[in-house]
Amino acid sequence: MSNMILGRYLPGVSWVHRLDARTKFILSMLFIFVIFMANNIYGYLFATAFVALSIIMTGLGFKVFFNGLKPLAMLMLITTFLQLFFMNTGTVLVHWWIFTITTDGVINSVIVFVRFMLIIMFTTILTLTTPPLEVADAMESLMSPLRKIGVPVSELALMVSIALRFVPTLMDEAQSIMNAQRARGVAFNEGGLIQRAKSYVPLLIPLFVNAIKRAIELGDAMEARGYRDGEHRTKFRVLKYTKIDGVAFAAFFIFAIGLFATRFI
Amino acid sequence: MAITFKNVGFTYQAGTPFATPALYDVNFNIPDHSFTAVIGHTGSGKSTMVQLLDGLELPTDGEITIGSATITAATKRKTLNGMRHDIGMVFQFPEAQLFEQTVLADVMFGPMNYGMSKAEAEIAAKAALALVQMPESSYEASPFDLSGGQMRRVAIAGVIAMEPEILILDEPTAGLDPAGQADLMALFANLQKERDLTVILITHQMEFVGQYADNVLVFDAGSVVKTGTPAEIFADSDWLRQKQLDVPAATQFSDYLEAKGLPLHGALDLDQLADEIVGLIGGPTHE
Ligand SMILES: Nc1ncnc2c1ncn2[C@@H]1O[C@H](COP(=O)(O)OP(=O)(O)O)[C@@H](O)[C@H]1O
Ligand SMILES: [Mg+2]
Repeated sequence: MSNMILGRYLPGVSWVHRLDARTKFILSMLFIFVIFMANNIYGYLFATAFVALSIIMTGLGFKVFFNGLKPLAMLMLITTFLQLFFMNTGTVLVHWWIFTITTDGVINSVIVFVRFMLIIMFTTILTLTTPPLEVADAMESLMSPLRKIGVPVSELALMVSIALRFVPTLMDEAQSIMNAQRARGVAFNEGGLIQRAKSYVPLLIPLFVNAIKRAIELGDAMEARGYRDGEHRTKFRVLKYTKIDGVAFAAFFIFAIGLFATRFI
Repeated sequence: MAITFKNVGFTYQAGTPFATPALYDVNFNIPDHSFTAVIGHTGSGKSTMVQLLDGLELPTDGEITIGSATITAATKRKTLNGMRHDIGMVFQFPEAQLFEQTVLADVMFGPMNYGMSKAEAEIAAKAALALVQMPESSYEASPFDLSGGQMRRVAIAGVIAMEPEILILDEPTAGLDPAGQADLMALFANLQKERDLTVILITHQMEFVGQYADNVLVFDAGSVVKTGTPAEIFADSDWLRQKQLDVPAATQFSDYLEAKGLPLHGALDLDQLADEIVGLIGGPTHE
């Protein structure tokens, strides 16, 4: 249950780990746009090299990043296949019934596949090298201008932080309740659909009851310590841009220019 | 059903970056119908061991034999569901497993999953609830309206009602008041004698080990480092302290008197110690 790689933080001491969460967040977003500048093989090679270099700098090894692709493998394959069949220009390679595969279709689906993979791998750098709470802090900080138009940014961020904080707790709890019910003879994932669905009742009820109980206790504890909403609270975790953030932005800028340049090769 | 662990190793989430080795080369033997206590520092692998025993996880290495069944890394998970039939397991904080609308229905849940008819399950459930001293008036109450201690007892009844041959108890008394703890332990000891069960008890309370167990496994850092009778285990209190464990208070006191020159030899509980001291003085024996 807890072997989900996607969105799981792996501690480390690399430069990438030490970057401000906001830097990683902004660069991840920018990457999604910038990658569309690539329009030939050199562009994609250049982008692949950049992503590979970034991954090397995390010091986590490529394996965990490829594992991160697995949950999305299905989505990637479907998108790639759709490209393969929907593109009808270029030389026809295979023609069968209503399906036509052309050279352009093949090239395009390869491009879509590579682009998809690069985007996922690059954004995975953020989630693998940044504690979830820091990601939430970064989002709060980046959204703070919205406060001016009355968006309760701090409260939203607090909700996200609390939710993130309890994900591992709930996963562990689900695991132990599941074990307890299996010991009482529940066979999860066996039998027909209805039986399967029914077998989850003994898991979900205690899980929800405990989650609600915990939420009430947390609320009481916060109130007992005088929590009030408001804008001027100080922070325990302070985000701070440092020199390496400047270096990261500069490197990304150079990458973007380089990628733009590959269009003219 | 005798239980044997042979060179058993286990790693949580093996093959992922989060792999956590929890057991290394565990070897032991639990005789049929014995009362075995499992002691060891927190994180030494006790809970992991009993989960392997109940087929909730498969060993990464080695072989587990329970009666005629054998579990290895290659065992099919589906066959394990059937195997659990004879094993009752009370988890740490078992009150988390309650989910039914009434106390009675929750206690009947396990027995019915293992093939008892509704009528049979109801008889077994009522007997189990009586054993744990839940008043009849509570049978139709929601388990979520009970006190923490009562929820614990209902959860335990839910396992006893399955009428297992092996009863595994993972720190069943943690967080209860002293009277409640002693009651529960006495209940388990009686049940073991009456139904001729094999009981495996994980506990940090050496008093109960001295009083009820006839076999002790000492866990340290994922391995069994010593096995023996309580008398053998508690004979070396310095060694136990090194493993962050302790001896029963009676044994400690007896050791202390012995060091002062009294001819005592490591009583395991208060009754035994009283008898020995009375024997020394030469008065009538205790009880
Ligand atoms: N679900 C789990 N996932 C990963 N590691 C675990 C899990 N449960 C226990 N562990 C680890 O396994 C080791 C043994 O734990 P456990 O068997 O619970 O010890 P004990 O019951 O003796 O306190 C500990 O290091 C613990 O952190
Ligand atoms: Mg434990």
